[in-house]
Amino acid sequence: MVLPRYAWRRLYQERLVVVLTMAAFVWPLLCAGFIYLTNHLELLQGLDPEFRAFIQVDGRFFSIFMYVQAGFAGLIAALAGPGLVAPDLSNNALPLYFSRPLTRWTYALARLTVIGGMLSIVTWVPGLLLFGLQVALAGGRWFLANWTLGAGVVAGFLLWVLILSLVAMASSVYVKWRVVAGAVSLAFFFLLTGVTEMIEQVFRATWAHVLDPAWAVNRVWCTLLGVDPPAGPGAAACTVSLAAFILLLGLVIERKLRPVEVVR
Amino acid sequence: MDKIPIVELENLKVKLGRREILHGITCRLGVSGTGQAVGLLGPNGAGKSTLILTLLGFLRPSAGHARILGMDCRRNVREAHSRIGYMPENDSFVGEMTAVTFLRQMAELSGLPAKAALEKAHEVLFHVGLGESRYRELRTYSYGMKQMAKLAQAIVHGPELVVLDEPTNGLDPAARRRMLKLVVDMKTEQGMNVLVCSHLLADIEQVCDEAVILKDGAIVHHCNLEEERRSNKSFVELEVTGDDRNLRMALPEIGAEGVSEGGGRWRIVLPAGVGVEAIWGLTARQNLLVRKLTHRRDTLEEIFLKAMGHLLHTPGESAALDVGRT
Repeated sequence: MVLPRYAWRRLYQERLVVVLTMAAFVWPLLCAGFIYLTNHLELLQGLDPEFRAFIQVDGRFFSIFMYVQAGFAGLIAALAGPGLVAPDLSNNALPLYFSRPLTRWTYALARLTVIGGMLSIVTWVPGLLLFGLQVALAGGRWFLANWTLGAGVVAGFLLWVLILSLVAMASSVYVKWRVVAGAVSLAFFFLLTGVTEMIEQVFRATWAHVLDPAWAVNRVWCTLLGVDPPAGPGAAACTVSLAAFILLLGLVIERKLRPVEVVR
Repeated sequence: MDKIPIVELENLKVKLGRREILHGITCRLGVSGTGQAVGLLGPNGAGKSTLILTLLGFLRPSAGHARILGMDCRRNVREAHSRIGYMPENDSFVGEMTAVTFLRQMAELSGLPAKAALEKAHEVLFHVGLGESRYRELRTYSYGMKQMAKLAQAIVHGPELVVLDEPTNGLDPAARRRMLKLVVDMKTEQGMNVLVCSHLLADIEQVCDEAVILKDGAIVHHCNLEEERRSNKSFVELEVTGDDRNLRMALPEIGAEGVSEGGGRWRIVLPAGVGVEAIWGLTARQNLLVRKLTHRRDTLEEIFLKAMGHLLHTPGESAALDVGRT
């Protein structure tokens, strides 16, 4: 736990990371207000009954919450993630770490734990709190009917956190320069979305969406939350595609995270 | 019970890609726990760094075995790492950290409890002369200070063996002297074993008890510097004016042997305990006028040059061999 402890300290010494993390709580607070209102309909007496029936806490509500929060998480991962790994590589600190009783995988896991922990604070933790708030206000019957939503929020966010953490780490070990690594992290998603759109337009093939990790994650979320999915490949195909992405990113980390770079 | 060598290599072969860098090295260097220092010498590309990286478990041998402090460098890598400290050649640090935080983290990673790690970090930083600047971020340090910080992180956890890769690289003479003194202190006062990799012969000669010379991925010479020092053979290059025909016959009076190179030039081997003043006395008795007298010990430089093939034999050996032929 030594590495994560020092990494947390380094992380929250950066003002921008703190500001962005604080900003990421605005949306959950608004959502909490929404949940409060939907459970206190007497406050909405003057509104149209149809509108009152429309606003309710269900899978769609949580999918919108997750969609916005995932964007914040992506920004934080791109900003703070590379700051944990890239300086170690650019300053050639890895031989110092790996000459101690610390394996490459322990190092990688320690860094991923911190990036994942930092992203958890703005993703599944507020998601679970919102779910808990709804349960507290709506009662046990609502929980029994909708407990899958809570599980879906946590599982869906964990998948997104894993992808983001791996992308941040892989880009850091690849380019070694913090600012560029952050840009590469964001470009990874935008570029693949662009390529997917291009393939879709040229070949009129919706299967291309499996190449877009953001879309694939969203598709898996739809299944987890029981929301109508967008047109395209199914959750199983998206899960396989995401597993392939995870494997690929793990491979990049394995290849590049070495104490010495061997020129062959 | 067998003494455990600091480094033990058995037919060690290391390949980088398809290129074989180390070609089946076998040797036993130093004795662990005795505060001995072993030097790795060799020109660029000889395989010194490859050997060190293999000993640290960073490179996988393609054949053979490498053991450090009796532990296999691949199988017992974690245990080995907890007992060694490593100072790499290049810049290695975390720039955003203060020296004391950096050292504390490194000590904790080596297994020291947090409180002890902090105490050791302060102590070691004072020891290497960075006490006043220990709260500064490492990126603000000068090159010499970074070298000292690298040494500090290598010894902060009190390892049994410290591996130093070119420790004096880029240091000014004063900093170099200080670095070498610290290394000598490490072995004499703290009983640490030291493995020094350097291309500077003077550094190795000053610090080490044993030296290995590598060339093209093979060991070309392995010498015990302590024995070399103890043999205390010294050589004199002498140039005299006058009739020196009787000098060769007179040299045994002082226990020396020599060879004339013509024109009044002599190369003389002095035995241990005989100083250069004996030559002054002898030449005076022979009514010879000394024009030039150079006195030197059998330096590592000569051994190194001989191992590299730049010298066919050391001057002392040649003088001894040629005695009586002139």
